[in-house]
Amino acid sequence: MKYFIILILFITILFAEDTITNQEQSYQLGNGMQVGELPLYVGGYFSLDYRYKDGENRYRIDDIAFLAYGGYEKISYMAELEYKEFYTLSEKDDAYTTQKDTRLHTERLYGDYNFNENYMLRLGKFNSQIGFWNLLPINVLRDTSSNPYTTDIIFPRFTTGLYAAYNSYNNAEIQIDLTIQHNEDLDPSYNNYTMDEHHSLGTTYTQENISLKASIGMFDKYTSTNTTQVLYYALVSLKYETEKFQFMSELGSQKSTQEYTTPYAFFAQGVYHLNQEHAGIIRLESYEDKVQNTQDNIAIFGYTYRPLYPIAFKTEYQFHKLQNENQFLFSWSVLF
Amino acid sequence: MKKFILIYLISHSLLIANEYAIVANKSIHEASLGQIKALFLKKSSYIKNKKVVPVNLSSRNPIRIHFEKHILHMSFNRLKSYWTKQHYLGHRPPISMKSQKSIKTFIKKVDGSIGYMELKNVDDELSILYKWSE
Repeated sequence: MKYFIILILFITILFAEDTITNQEQSYQLGNGMQVGELPLYVGGYFSLDYRYKDGENRYRIDDIAFLAYGGYEKISYMAELEYKEFYTLSEKDDAYTTQKDTRLHTERLYGDYNFNENYMLRLGKFNSQIGFWNLLPINVLRDTSSNPYTTDIIFPRFTTGLYAAYNSYNNAEIQIDLTIQHNEDLDPSYNNYTMDEHHSLGTTYTQENISLKASIGMFDKYTSTNTTQVLYYALVSLKYETEKFQFMSELGSQKSTQEYTTPYAFFAQGVYHLNQEHAGIIRLESYEDKVQNTQDNIAIFGYTYRPLYPIAFKTEYQFHKLQNENQFLFSWSVLF
Repeated sequence: MKKFILIYLISHSLLIANEYAIVANKSIHEASLGQIKALFLKKSSYIKNKKVVPVNLSSRNPIRIHFEKHILHMSFNRLKSYWTKQHYLGHRPPISMKSQKSIKTFIKKVDGSIGYMELKNVDDELSILYKWSE
């Protein structure tokens, strides 16, 4: 796999000159680059972060990822390979520990077939199309360094299987989507749940600046005792976006056949863009997780500076009801 | 007197208001504004079963900025962040051309192509899908 990436980078450099033919087609940070005249675009992203929590300093090279995508006629494809938590240095009471994960993970690998304006089919590994946050989950594209708990405990973040969508574009945009997984995960170590079955059904309604989305689903989670547990979930999402302001909120719940495993998980986030470079963020979260037996309320105050949109410097402070969870985060991320 | 001056100014500005049109190759006869928006944001590449090729003017062209404001309802900066997010999702922006003349020639030649220009530059060899004025 490493040789594959080296090959792509080599081809990119080799053909790079051909793509710079005029102002519109020249390379722009955050937009990737076409390889010659091929239906292949390459790019990537990385993020570095720092966290101070409960007396511990943690320095991390978190993501180093490579993207390759393209399309021809009705078919398109996407490949994303990533080093996750590549290098971590932690320090507490003058004791240092380091961790490395040099395995290249398959974050996304799928092909799309577009039948017409209304119908499309996807096969492979992809971000589960649940809610709004999980569609753009990488550090540089989200508003804070951290992810809301809602996006990590209610549903599997990745699905390996089939995704079908119906879209209608008239006065309002309507989407109905269906996800089916009935096989092992393409990269089981790189998902928040280990599972071999996932079904979901969702619908999205968008009118001008407002989008509403509702999803329901079930998945078969592997447990530590080598058995499986069937879990059901529901998530409703709201997004409102203008030039200056963005509001996003998601509310979810998860249950097993016997009881609620997560009775509720909720977040509401407002982002105010002071101008093109500076944004202030407030996020409120609350959840109850009966598997971990925790309940927490969180208030997050953040500030993001983007000298260019694909470059983000972010700081945030999290106030938790569980006081030893209070933390400060700083990250630097770039999409190229 | 002030009233007459105001009426004169308003009527005069209406008379000289620029008119624009979203035009397509003759193979395309109609499209809703929702469909047009989806095509230029690359949410869709089709009108019904027909493959469509949207064409933009270059990024700082005033007609493009006008089109983005009135049809896509998005500013230049918001579109920049939109296309950065689309890069992560594997979608590319529409191709761009430098002049209305180039777009006109392209649309006449290429089946399924769609673009926009000043109404005065449109002729019978193009389909008009939508018209608007300043």
